[in-house]
Amino acid sequence: MSSKKIVNIIAYIFIAVILIFVFTKGKPLEKPAYSEIYSMNTICDLEIYGKDKKAALQKSVSIINTINSIIDDFSPQSDVYKINENAGIHPVKVSKTTIDMLEKAIQIAKQTDGAFDPTIRPLLVIWGFKNKNYRVPSEEEIKAVLKLISYQDIVINKADNTVFLKHKGEGIDLGGIAKGYTLDKIKETLDKFDITSAIINMGGNVLTYKNPPNGSVWRIGIKNPRGSGIRGIIRVKGTKFISTSGDYERYFIKNGVRYCHIMDPKTGKPARKIISITVVSTKGYLGDALSTAFFVKGREFALQNTTKFGVGVVGFDNKMMPFISNNLKNSVTIYNEAR
Amino acid sequence: MKQGDKFVLYSILALVFILFIEYGIFKNHSTRVIVIRSDGKIVKELPINKNAFFEVKSREGHLFVEVKNGKVRVVDSTCKEKLCEKEGWIGNTGESIICLPNRISITIISKNGEKVDTVTY
Repeated sequence: MSSKKIVNIIAYIFIAVILIFVFTKGKPLEKPAYSEIYSMNTICDLEIYGKDKKAALQKSVSIINTINSIIDDFSPQSDVYKINENAGIHPVKVSKTTIDMLEKAIQIAKQTDGAFDPTIRPLLVIWGFKNKNYRVPSEEEIKAVLKLISYQDIVINKADNTVFLKHKGEGIDLGGIAKGYTLDKIKETLDKFDITSAIINMGGNVLTYKNPPNGSVWRIGIKNPRGSGIRGIIRVKGTKFISTSGDYERYFIKNGVRYCHIMDPKTGKPARKIISITVVSTKGYLGDALSTAFFVKGREFALQNTTKFGVGVVGFDNKMMPFISNNLKNSVTIYNEAR
Repeated sequence: MKQGDKFVLYSILALVFILFIEYGIFKNHSTRVIVIRSDGKIVKELPINKNAFFEVKSREGHLFVEVKNGKVRVVDSTCKEKLCEKEGWIGNTGESIICLPNRISITIISKNGEKVDTVTY
């Protein structure tokens, strides 16, 4: 063999190796700007790619902390605390963010016939979900508190930036919309930076931003509502919001009955029509609040209202039978057992 | 072909092969895990491709599990018949070793294709 031939062989091998690298590995993976923070009573994971990833991450974290400080109903400095403390007494001056979030919450409350209601707080209190001393209240107690659950009693004055609850004892809880709303704000922030890809998970509420770093489809696992692992996968493209409401995150069991933290504002008791529902949406606040409303209303209402709200749903009914809206049929895989 | 040529050629081939392995092209990308249950509860989940040696306890007794080169076996169980030890190494998805007297089971499951970017809950 001549030395020329050897050079040729070497060249071929090099080309082969390079080709294999290109086709199997793609571009070398960029490292994301990553942060895991504890806020809004949950864990938030942020993973951001692109030229401005560090600045975008910093800004996103500060958005989470700012909104948390507004809605934290245990902090005397928060808008929500002040509104609740002064219910039936006088209007309270609040931030524009609080007003914006409340307006959106009221809008969805109207559209879902009150299945989502931001004035649900008094019910969460008597069931012990606020102080974790879980208990089953008496029928009379529930009946008395039900009168206080009414989103129509939120009076917003945009000229003065004030909010007022009409009756003493009423209380706002934005836990069913705040995480989705925060994801909207993070999305708006990412738009202002040079960001190629991002995935944010706030206590199960997910924002996928643009394409994944090395592909075109995001794979979002649906947590198994009864045990560990996942029970399905949703494949989404581009910027989407994915929110889930289920009876397995915060609940207590008494005398063999499961009582979850999502209250039906009509009965004053934990909703129990389905086990979980995941909403895929193009607006974070919408998906977050709708997952709560759909959880309360159940399978049929959810499936019948996907077009109205422009969302997709996948859920498990109370016999763990999966249901999927038509617009998600091709993007969801459900497993027969946890993986 | 001269001896020297062959040497060069084979070294290059070997180098390429090593690169392949190093960069995971031949690697099994499936995420197979060993699930260990004691008294009916999952007490440990670990990847099968990482060597390990540890003790598993139950109300009835205990045994040791050895994970090596993508296989797993039981050594030194407190049970009488030692059927679990006699089972030897297992390495295929779906295979399991069950120690009935100790109420301990070791199962290999596949999480292949379940790679997700995140989980909604």
